[in-house]
Amino acid sequence: MAGLGLSELARYGFVDLEGTVPKLDQLVKAIGDSGRSALAELGLAANPDQALNALLDLAEIDRSTVKKLLSKTESAARMVRTFGASSAMVDLTRRRPELLTVFEPKESALPGLLELRKRFEVALGQTKGNVEERWVAIRLVYRRELLRLIAFDVTQPEAVDTFSVVSQQLSDLATEAMEAGLQVARWELTNTTDHGNFTSSEVAATKLAVIAMGKCGARELNYISDVDVIYVADTGSVELQRERALEIATRLATRMMRAMDGTAPEPMLWQVDPNLRPEGKSGALVRTVDSHIAYYERWAQNWEFQALLKARFAAGDAEIAEDYLTRIRPLVWSATAREGFVEAAQKMRERVMEHIPENEVNRQIKLGPGGLRDIEFTVQLLQLVHGRTDETVRVSDTISAISSLANGSYMSRSDAEVFFNHYKFLRTIEHRIQFSQMRRTHLMPEVESQVRGISRGLNVRWNSEQLLTKWNEVKLEVRSLHQKVFYRPLLSAVAKLGDGAGLSSEQILDRLRAIGFDDPKSASAHIEALTSGLSRRASIQKQLLPVLLEWFAKGSDPDSGLLAFRRLSEDLGESPWYLRMLRDSSGAAERMTQVLSTSKLATGLFERHPEAAAWFEDPADLKALSLAELQQEMNSIVDRHDEIEKAANSIRGIRRRETLRLAMGAVLGELTIDEISQGLSDITESYLLALKSLTDNDAIDLGIIAMGRFGGAELGFGSDADLMFVYRALESVDAQKIAERQISELRRLAADPVLEFEFDIDLRPEGKNGPIARSLESYAAYYEKWANTWEAQALLRARVIAGSDELVKAFTELIDQYRYPQEVAQSAILEIRRIKARVETERLPQGADPKRHLKLGRGSLSDVEWLVQLMQLSNGAKHPTIRTPKTLEALEACVSEGLIERHDATVLEEAWKLASRVRSAVVLWGTRRSDVLTTDRKQLDGMARILEYPRDSASALEQDYLAFTRRSRMVFERLFYGA
Amino acid sequence: MDKQTDFVLRTIEERSVKFVRLWFTDVAGTLKSVAIAPAEVEGAFSEGLGFDGSAIEGLARTYEADMLAMPDPSTFQILPWRGEIDPTARMFCDIQTPDGQPAAADPRNVLRRALSKASDMGFTFYIHPEIEFYLLKSSQLNEDGEPVPVDKAGYFDNVPGGTAHDFRRRAVQMLEQLGISVEFSHHEGGPGQNEIDLRYADALTMADNIMSFRTVIKEVAIEQGVYATFMPKPFTQHPGSGMHTHMSLFEGDTNAFFDASGQYHLSKTARQFMAGVLRHAPEITAVTNQYVNSYKRLWGGGEAPSFVCWGHNNRSALLRVPLYKPEKGNSSRIEYRAIDSAANPYLAYALILSAGLKGIEEGYELPAETEDNVWNLTDSERRAMGIQPLPQSLDHAIRKLEESELAAEVLGEEVFSYVLANKRREWSEYRSQVTPFELHQNLETL
Repeated sequence: MAGLGLSELARYGFVDLEGTVPKLDQLVKAIGDSGRSALAELGLAANPDQALNALLDLAEIDRSTVKKLLSKTESAARMVRTFGASSAMVDLTRRRPELLTVFEPKESALPGLLELRKRFEVALGQTKGNVEERWVAIRLVYRRELLRLIAFDVTQPEAVDTFSVVSQQLSDLATEAMEAGLQVARWELTNTTDHGNFTSSEVAATKLAVIAMGKCGARELNYISDVDVIYVADTGSVELQRERALEIATRLATRMMRAMDGTAPEPMLWQVDPNLRPEGKSGALVRTVDSHIAYYERWAQNWEFQALLKARFAAGDAEIAEDYLTRIRPLVWSATAREGFVEAAQKMRERVMEHIPENEVNRQIKLGPGGLRDIEFTVQLLQLVHGRTDETVRVSDTISAISSLANGSYMSRSDAEVFFNHYKFLRTIEHRIQFSQMRRTHLMPEVESQVRGISRGLNVRWNSEQLLTKWNEVKLEVRSLHQKVFYRPLLSAVAKLGDGAGLSSEQILDRLRAIGFDDPKSASAHIEALTSGLSRRASIQKQLLPVLLEWFAKGSDPDSGLLAFRRLSEDLGESPWYLRMLRDSSGAAERMTQVLSTSKLATGLFERHPEAAAWFEDPADLKALSLAELQQEMNSIVDRHDEIEKAANSIRGIRRRETLRLAMGAVLGELTIDEISQGLSDITESYLLALKSLTDNDAIDLGIIAMGRFGGAELGFGSDADLMFVYRALESVDAQKIAERQISELRRLAADPVLEFEFDIDLRPEGKNGPIARSLESYAAYYEKWANTWEAQALLRARVIAGSDELVKAFTELIDQYRYPQEVAQSAILEIRRIKARVETERLPQGADPKRHLKLGRGSLSDVEWLVQLMQLSNGAKHPTIRTPKTLEALEACVSEGLIERHDATVLEEAWKLASRVRSAVVLWGTRRSDVLTTDRKQLDGMARILEYPRDSASALEQDYLAFTRRSRMVFERLFYGA
Repeated sequence: MDKQTDFVLRTIEERSVKFVRLWFTDVAGTLKSVAIAPAEVEGAFSEGLGFDGSAIEGLARTYEADMLAMPDPSTFQILPWRGEIDPTARMFCDIQTPDGQPAAADPRNVLRRALSKASDMGFTFYIHPEIEFYLLKSSQLNEDGEPVPVDKAGYFDNVPGGTAHDFRRRAVQMLEQLGISVEFSHHEGGPGQNEIDLRYADALTMADNIMSFRTVIKEVAIEQGVYATFMPKPFTQHPGSGMHTHMSLFEGDTNAFFDASGQYHLSKTARQFMAGVLRHAPEITAVTNQYVNSYKRLWGGGEAPSFVCWGHNNRSALLRVPLYKPEKGNSSRIEYRAIDSAANPYLAYALILSAGLKGIEEGYELPAETEDNVWNLTDSERRAMGIQPLPQSLDHAIRKLEESELAAEVLGEEVFSYVLANKRREWSEYRSQVTPFELHQNLETL
């Protein structure tokens, strides 16, 4: 066309500018002037280049029709915009040019349900041929209507306003196609014997109804998707046996599905998916109403009831369908009363999310975060929770559900509005993407030119960038809507904010119970307390609680988590940093809810040290303080205070605070088991040192010897501190008496009712009968005369943590000759083995299962430790590197020295570590120490979470523990007993 | 769940069933049964039947005694030997803990787990066992301290009008009434020894069938005034009672063991499966051959499969590739010959299957075929050919089992340690016996 500048073409939206000029000329040449006026319409098409190419192609096939259509504005718009939006429709009209007439203005009205049915009937009536021809007839009617619908869709003034009409039309089209398919199926069974020998009266007496489920059931079908159905059938005559009728119905149903998807000269429409039926793929295709009901009453899973929400009569016998639907509906609603219904639904949602391929997450319109499924899920969840008592929300499609929820005040009007708009927007994008190539997809295209087509289809002035920006905004908002719509009204109602939905108190309890609170009344009271008043804290908590509630609901014990949060919040009051943390750092608040709903130990300590809330902000704060840092802080307290009691009090406070830090770090998975045991040992060590310095006097030099796990710096939560004391007299006084007095003072100060401190001195020479302290000389004399093997063994883990350097050195030298002897008599080794064998049976508590005892059990801590100690005792003199009180360090050194095979050491180490971690988890979960792996499944599950297993891992943890320790026992038996 | 439930409840009504027996199997392989009234059946379907698990061998730890038996409606059958008066039916049960988890120690659950692993790999496991047993005049021993067989016939002998003949006819009839198809039945090598081959089925159904089979055989014996025993080796001089098992894996409708181009039409999958079974055979023998007496059969000579090797139609091999029918790809299978009639079928099949799957997963190489009768080789020849013996006694088998990661994983830690403890106890009781052999050999000479 002359005089048309390339930039003008660009303004019209063409991409291939150079090529377009000759193409337009060609069009004018082919059909004359009306080709010229097409330009304006092309400029409004989603993809002008595609539309122009289509016009050229079709002009070659049927010049006069194209010319006629282009000559009128309305038909030109319908044709050009359809071609611009859908390459699939271009292909269709090229294949079936007779369909072009659909673009004529008089064809623009969308037919109603009855009219649709008539059109299918008329088409079938004109077909006299075989089955395939009949199928083709159905498919052509369907495709003609589809083309009409797309022409309608793309010519509406506001793209987003059409989806409701469109998806209803698509649903009706699908059900009428199936109705027609059934008709052909009946014809087939009556007139051919390909699918069995049935008389026409038998076929006629068979009642079969197609129940639409899913999107078709809710009349919100997409342009292309599977159509979910369920079949109900029965005999309609006394002369026809029920079994026979079901057989016929099964054939009918099968043939009907083939009519939609079987091979014929006109391609298939879509798959009919009957897999939502009872027992899914393995169940009978067709059932009687009674059989359906019996199944749902006994066996159905939660999701099956959720699916039934959308059941609707689609095709076939209306009477039996009505019977089915009337009887199934009450079941759906009583099912939601089942325990764990909502939780199960939520888990299902999470699983769906997990299954989206990584590279598709951001392009998913339906399943991704902020996608359609998020809206549908939230709406359905609310329907399930409240539909039990309120029949008005029992509607099947999403749009009606949103408005009924708003009418029932379960959702605020403004939220409903936002939901509605976003839903429309997302569905419209989905439709455009689907009909562009008639592919079943929910992914935003990757190719820019395709995205551009979609965006122009929505709004001809948009570029792809604008569409993506808008879409991202919607996604973000949808993501937060779930929480806002589901949890926020709880709060509004409890706190009487009056800004949202007006839930009754019964409805609130329903919702709280549904999300996992065992005691919804108390939970409601906590929420009220947390949000009442006009303080800043209350107003921040009002903002925050909806999301906190969601997090608590995910924990293993939501009730006590919320209670703890309330106490904490009351203690912290208006501390600005606390409020800031809650408000600004959602990661911190989430970590806090996790600790509060998982660990009773941490929660208990937390209530005394609410300032620890600040640590949630920065994972670095959850790392253990070093021994030097601890000592520095404690020493400055000792220096500051003149009064022993006050100083001791503050020091106890530091121990609790630091234990809390480690507990939090452990629950949140910020710390390794090594860091935890080292940290706890450092706390204990600095604690004793500081308290000792409060009791020191000039008369003696008192040394503290850490023994056992404390000596090895391997303490867990709730471990005893094994201790021995040695002293040196500095003045000529009754040093023994002074030492004993100092120790008992130390013991008194160390005792802490809040966080128990087990001061255990039973490992000293002569055990309970021996003096609680000895002088260096007394130790020397004792060991010289009496030292037996087990004492030498206990000394392997001795570590002097207090006393003058001189004393430390002297004592260490003294014990080294016993614990690392130059030579060990064979009899001594036998002695150790014998003691171990005896201990195994004697020290286990009565009736305990050795496999489950964390300390003395099969292959657990004590097996590994005794083995390492035996190695140290027999080889320590020759191999100085294995001289360490730390079990794992010694084990590693034994490998380096070639004393233990690498593989064996790994097995031992794994068992030792897991047993240590499990022991700590026991205390973290329930505060009370237990050396037996519990069989209580709830507790196992809680512990497994602390040990970073996924949800519901009780059995997995149990299985791991038993397997690790079994393997370690095999290694132990071979290396220790030499079996 | 199952559409069978309706059928079950309806049949109970229509046939006026008076009792329903709920069956399950303990770890040792003994069938346990509890009878409930028809009125309780519906409740048992939805909530299970609570019982004290600690009373059942190996089923529960004493501190979690409460267990639930959940009947499997697809296993519902009217018991044919109860007659028309007071009709009685039975269903097999899965055992659950009170919180609805499958009980770790339920053998049926052990097999289910193994099968679901196979199914994750895309396989269905089909088996068909040939079950041998002896018919005796009674459980009483004669004056020589030996059991007395009902006849003196031999392999495939037709004993006209003989007890065994009637017996098999009646047994097959009852089995068919219970929905268990019989492939074949005939007189076996020993006097009074019979064999009945069950038609192939998936492994879980078959394990259930084997439990039913044992009951049927015992019941028919009572009916006919004789005594049936599945003891692996009741006679020193006669062959033992094995349960040779034919196995195949299917991928959908295709036999995964079949490959037209492979040696003996065996696919790579089949060869790897066989390699797995062979490599792990010694460590699972304590389960497939679980009694002291089992080893008297394994080492009793004749055709007993004492050595770990495979062959085509080699009747001395542990794993045999039977004659194949060239046109029938779907009949490709292998036959494991160690397992005896007294094994717990759930555990034994779970282990054999898992051993085979392991072979597939890790791509084991199948060793060379053995064509000789391995019994005729010398020890050094066998050593030279790399042919290992199966464990020679229960004690030996326990030691192999102890070190088996495969068995621990498949059985689960609980069942694994129970089996070990149980077998150690049996061995130690056996070891302290003074046997007729010793008295005969030593009493008069020493």
